[in-house]
Amino acid sequence: MVQIKSNHWDIFCSVVDNYGDIGVCWRLAKQLANEYQIEVVLWVDDLASFNTIQPEVDLAATTQQLKGITVNLWREPLPVTYIPGQVLIEAFACQLPAEVIQQLVDLKQCGQGQPCWLNLEYLSAEAWVDDCHALPSLQANGLNKSFYFPGFSRKTGGLLCEADLFTQRDVWQADSGNRLALFAKLGIEHCLDSDRFISVFSYETAALQALCDYWQHSATPIRLLVPLGRSLNSFVKFFNLDNHQFCAGEHWQKGNLHLHVLPLTDQIGFDRLLWSCDVNIVRGEDSFLRAQWAAKPFIWHIYPQDEDYHLVKLDALMQRYCANLDPTAAQAWQQLSLNFNRDQQKASVESWQHYVDAEEKLNKHAKIWPISAIDDEDLATRLVHFVKNS
Amino acid sequence: MKTAHELRPGNVIMLDGNPWVVLKTETTRSGRNAAIVKMKLKNILADTTTETTFKGEDKMEDIILERLDCTYSYFADPMYVFMDSEYNQYDVEAGNLGEAAQYIVDGMEEVCQVTFYEGKAISVELPTSVSREVTYTEPSARGDTSGKVMKPATITGGATLSVADFVKTGDIIEIDTRTHEFKKRV
Repeated sequence: MVQIKSNHWDIFCSVVDNYGDIGVCWRLAKQLANEYQIEVVLWVDDLASFNTIQPEVDLAATTQQLKGITVNLWREPLPVTYIPGQVLIEAFACQLPAEVIQQLVDLKQCGQGQPCWLNLEYLSAEAWVDDCHALPSLQANGLNKSFYFPGFSRKTGGLLCEADLFTQRDVWQADSGNRLALFAKLGIEHCLDSDRFISVFSYETAALQALCDYWQHSATPIRLLVPLGRSLNSFVKFFNLDNHQFCAGEHWQKGNLHLHVLPLTDQIGFDRLLWSCDVNIVRGEDSFLRAQWAAKPFIWHIYPQDEDYHLVKLDALMQRYCANLDPTAAQAWQQLSLNFNRDQQKASVESWQHYVDAEEKLNKHAKIWPISAIDDEDLATRLVHFVKNS
Repeated sequence: MKTAHELRPGNVIMLDGNPWVVLKTETTRSGRNAAIVKMKLKNILADTTTETTFKGEDKMEDIILERLDCTYSYFADPMYVFMDSEYNQYDVEAGNLGEAAQYIVDGMEEVCQVTFYEGKAISVELPTSVSREVTYTEPSARGDTSGKVMKPATITGGATLSVADFVKTGDIIEIDTRTHEFKKRV
């Protein structure tokens, strides 16, 4: 008879698009294993995407050990037997395999209980998250499931952040030689510390086209550091690169604007890139959060939703982020974020000018924001407490 | 089957072998356009309520329960006995009536709806308003006639509620049974 394994957590991750799903799950898995000594099994249905952010991933393996975590390929039927553990997490509301659900039903019917089953939801700064976090989700089959909402208030499940992340970041940023060394390693030559470095990990937007048009006339060289992938699509027209197959290491220049094409990197490399740039343009959920932890100003290119609902989510974040920010600086940053997400070309350029005027205050705010956002306990800590108390 | 997104207050769904009445729904939008539905549910058999969350696409069995118009006959502890137009009697456990029990009084003429689950009468739904006599309330303190100043009152059956200051002992008042609020003096 199968019995529940204690101190064993399963995380199921279905990669819908890009690297955010697996990025969040991998970070959570590593943190639970490293900081709480939990035996974690991560089930992933797309090893290729995983391999992009963790190059050691063996694309051919149905099961493998990586950094102390068991990584299993999620195919149906499962190529590796699922053994129920203390906790079962379905990330971003993914649909668990029928055989997993059946095992839970069988366990419960045998009177052995069930794992603490959680739906780890998307991050949102909206107020309704407070009322929905940790609520049960009654299941027709009698199983117990709960919704776990990451968020920015004490009533939510918190924000994903490793215990030593801020220390690592501070050490890195204390020595400007670190960023210049990183840029050199990435093949960015003849740059100066005084150049403006902007990382771009966004969706396609016409706003960037307009900004490029403006940036080329900048007195200070502006260097866009753009990883391979869809982020580059926004620059094709401006640099006349239709049908061009981008390669890492390429450098394009127009006026004082430089486009540096970067290889896709692992999570540590991405963090270091964010720590090293003056402004970070990020997207989705994982890079959005890492940009905040970088303690640098950022523009969040939010995942577009029907009926422009993403602007409601953007506004909720802006309200929280700007609560203790100088009103002029807050307005400059909010206008830039809003215009960028509305694909507004002229307005994005105008709000960039206001952003530059307010940059000193925004830089200071970016440094204090991470501590206030974490609010004592990060997501993994709150999650472990939640499981313990459930 | 209905999705959580399609459910509305008043629907009855089966969860964990129990019938639940949907009392309230709130839909919000999570990431990638996914809907999250927060619901308040009442377990018909256990007479308990709970707050719960579903994915918008979660499917659940909605059930159509039989309902009959009945009038209240008498109380045979612990059962309330109701009767339909053909003089058939149905027993409903006192615990299943919940807050409705405070309005069930001898001689009441209002028609109630008795709900059946697998042939058993499981709950009673009152009409949205009932009229009851005020058995006691303090005299008006200020002579207010606007209805904005409220005071406590006890009605036939023992329930207490806030009524307008001008209401006197012996008055017949109309009450909203969904909110337990005073509506007017009849």
